[in-house]
Amino acid sequence: MSQRYQITRAAELKSLSVFREFISDCCGRHNVPEGTVFELKLAVDEACTNIIEHGYKGMDPGSIILAFRIEPDRILVHITDFGHVFEPADAPKPNVEAALEDRELGGLGLYLIYQTMDNIDYQSSDDGNTLTFTKFIK
Amino acid sequence: MEIIDKQVDGVTILSLTGSIDAMTAPQITEFIQAQIAKGNTKLVADLKGVDYTSSAGLRVLLGAIKETRAQSGDLRLAGIQPDVQKVLNLSGFTNILKTFADPDAAVASYK
Repeated sequence: MSQRYQITRAAELKSLSVFREFISDCCGRHNVPEGTVFELKLAVDEACTNIIEHGYKGMDPGSIILAFRIEPDRILVHITDFGHVFEPADAPKPNVEAALEDRELGGLGLYLIYQTMDNIDYQSSDDGNTLTFTKFIK
Repeated sequence: MEIIDKQVDGVTILSLTGSIDAMTAPQITEFIQAQIAKGNTKLVADLKGVDYTSSAGLRVLLGAIKETRAQSGDLRLAGIQPDVQKVLNLSGFTNILKTFADPDAAVASYK
């Protein structure tokens, strides 16, 4: 048994809380553990923030499609946008053990996605850019 | 995001209520900047009413801590809720900032 959910919103900062509420609502119907729901909200929030602030930079803001499938042991997430191609491997990597004065302000969002999600992948084509990740339910 | 400020023993307590994301973070930065501009550099952020933060909140904290410490002040946290604590732990922020159970303890730590 699996269930699919999808929502499309404008790539604007005010959409972030809408995505988070959508995740809470959908996961609530499947008794997904609270800790997992929080991590999903965080990872989706960070990915969408990157799309809004960087993906559509210099362009008219387009849309973000958030789709996910809830299975008994995992949740698969797809986030699609139509902005600039983004290469996760090229993003700055924060040093989370650095002293205060050496801390940088950027790179933390992607770092948090990698810390909380499994099997992260990014594909780009004429049909848009899609970030996918899986969260195993423990 | 709702922010209320209060002075106790020369320390400014900022009580935040709401969720911190890239939409709401600039409002907090602006509020903290205004406090620093008034010379209030000993700050306590009471996060009892904050149920969520993304890395946008971490950027606010990092900027504020750097700026206040450069002026012999600090930004110390109180009342951290479990999901916010998780983000602080994941990002290693617990090593660079001081956290307290409640605002009174955070204020007392400045003495």
